[in-house]
Amino acid sequence: MKTRMLILFIFCALIVNAQTQKKVHPNLNGITCKTCHSCDIPTKENPCVIPCPREKMISIDQSPEEGPSVLTIDKFKKQTDIYAPVIFSHRLHAEMSGMSGGCKMCHHYNPPGQVIGCSDCHELIRKRTDVSKPDLKGAYHRQCMECHRSWSGKVECESCHVLNGKKQDIDSKTLVAKSEKRIHPKIIAPTILKFNTPKATGKIVTFYHAQHVDLFGLECQSCHTNESCVKCHAKDKTALLKAKTTEQKHSVCSSCHNTKQNCNSCHSNSVQEGFNHATKTGFDILKFHGKVACSICHTEKGKFTGLNSECINCHGKWTQENFQHKVTGVILDETHLTLECKDCHQEKNYSKPICSGCHEDKSFPKNVPGKLIKKNG
Amino acid sequence: MVNQSRRDFLKTAALAGTAITGLSSKTKAAPKNILSEDRMGVLVDTTVCIGCRKCEWACKTAHDLETPSIEAYDDRNVFKTMRRPNSKSLTVVNEYKNSVEEKFPINVKVQCMHCDHPACVSACIVGAFSKQENGSVIWDTDKCIGCRYCMVACPFQVPAFEFENALKPDIKKCDFCFERTKEGKLPACTEICPVEAVTYGRREDLVKAAHQKIKNYPDRYINRVFGEYEVGGTSWIYLASREFEKLDFPKLGKDPAPGVSEAIQHGVFAYFVPPVALYALLGGVMWINKNKKKSENEEI
Repeated sequence: MKTRMLILFIFCALIVNAQTQKKVHPNLNGITCKTCHSCDIPTKENPCVIPCPREKMISIDQSPEEGPSVLTIDKFKKQTDIYAPVIFSHRLHAEMSGMSGGCKMCHHYNPPGQVIGCSDCHELIRKRTDVSKPDLKGAYHRQCMECHRSWSGKVECESCHVLNGKKQDIDSKTLVAKSEKRIHPKIIAPTILKFNTPKATGKIVTFYHAQHVDLFGLECQSCHTNESCVKCHAKDKTALLKAKTTEQKHSVCSSCHNTKQNCNSCHSNSVQEGFNHATKTGFDILKFHGKVACSICHTEKGKFTGLNSECINCHGKWTQENFQHKVTGVILDETHLTLECKDCHQEKNYSKPICSGCHEDKSFPKNVPGKLIKKNG
Repeated sequence: MVNQSRRDFLKTAALAGTAITGLSSKTKAAPKNILSEDRMGVLVDTTVCIGCRKCEWACKTAHDLETPSIEAYDDRNVFKTMRRPNSKSLTVVNEYKNSVEEKFPINVKVQCMHCDHPACVSACIVGAFSKQENGSVIWDTDKCIGCRYCMVACPFQVPAFEFENALKPDIKKCDFCFERTKEGKLPACTEICPVEAVTYGRREDLVKAAHQKIKNYPDRYINRVFGEYEVGGTSWIYLASREFEKLDFPKLGKDPAPGVSEAIQHGVFAYFVPPVALYALLGGVMWINKNKKKSENEEI
């Protein structure tokens, strides 16, 4: 009896465990518990998390709006403090991190679930036994100084702190309210960028930034993964003009394009035209397929050839039943509704119809086989 | 064993001396000059230090030394010259150019390393210096006679002398905030450091943590913990992104420094060689002179 009860108990425990695992970590693709946990059954009380597996971390990103807008860092406030607590514009900083790694830029231990704050791991008290990771004060400052040093090159405390006892121009409440309103201004993305490369032939690379965003549907983070704040906020711009290797220069493009071959697809001796599906392939996508993502038709990743302009490639065979003719801008009248598609459209891309099959004296678009409507978009 | 007997001899001699002159000598419960497994240390991560020099301010404040206001330490012009600890600043931070990342210069804090086998303790002829159980190397001002042997013996050239104080000069160096740690406080510099570039803890744990850091970030650090083995090990240990010698750390062997100084001293003083030799020499000179005089007299 006892063993039965025990088995039942274990069974229940396993079910509960499986359910909570799903709840705590919703998107675990191909990652076992052991990637992060050292014990077999991690519990909330004893998660037995492997210390800071910074590499190969499963990380989540939240939008800056989801986090707090302002934080007053006064966890270690003491009477004897030299400096007043910092009022930290979290949201503004979160927005800035968008192109440089997101939340994990500071929240370097950032597993699925709620974002983990610094004080969850870093001890508040400096005098401690575990010296493997810095205390909270050290952890905070290290995160701040990493960017602030490269940004301003200065380390003076008063760029963030106010000296205690020093008269302030603005009281902390107003400062909090002010910081709450501070958001990063919208980043103005360029339309076209022309790069002058040192290449002997094919000196110019014309990069259509707007097209990559609007037409190819790329997110900022798809390319801008590791941008330094200094790229925009450098006080000394010369530091940015550091020599890069050819590989480093191509790294932004090489995640999608093969930069080892076909140099000419980007490099040219003159400014190149932007991508135009109609001129490049003879199939004008702007007419009906402007809002369709590339991958809907070009299903194989990275392969964009092999399709022709025949509708059947993607849509299958059109019939009167499965095709709403009004999307073309013409609502067919009753007579023409009964006809087969091919009676009028003899070409495989269903272009301009031919009336001569039935009518000797009529032609499109002079005569319309129904009612002409104004098309949306 | 020879070292120990010599030290004991000096200690008893010093104690006897103080007893005779009627001065009270404080007896401490903690064992001296014996390495404790739980001795404390500090791990200095020079890749983390930002050169804010708050440690310098905290050190001066904790030791009642004259200091400008804390805001004055923001002035980075001091880095134009390389500084050394002296009788007025027991710790200093220097700055070195970083050729790889110009925005991140390398800052190195300098102070007494608190050796596990301190040369100053060995060299001190009155037994004023001692290695404490908690790792700190301190000295007894009352015993110090100002011979400055410690300054010569130190492989890091740390102890400083108050030359400017004519009447009662004292030896000055970092004392690992012995008075503060006795009360359970942290050393002043490790308490104030905003980035915790200086971590206070058990030396053994710190060495382990340092090696873990090197393993985790092989691009950030060179594979060496300065002070782990140098001159027999020091309580203060360092991590750096480049060769320590390029950051003005002395090139030192693994043998404890007292081995060298004691060998010379003991060698010279063994079997009363110097006094015997001196008297023999003087006797010889006298004998020659006597003979000379005699022969001169005979000639006349």
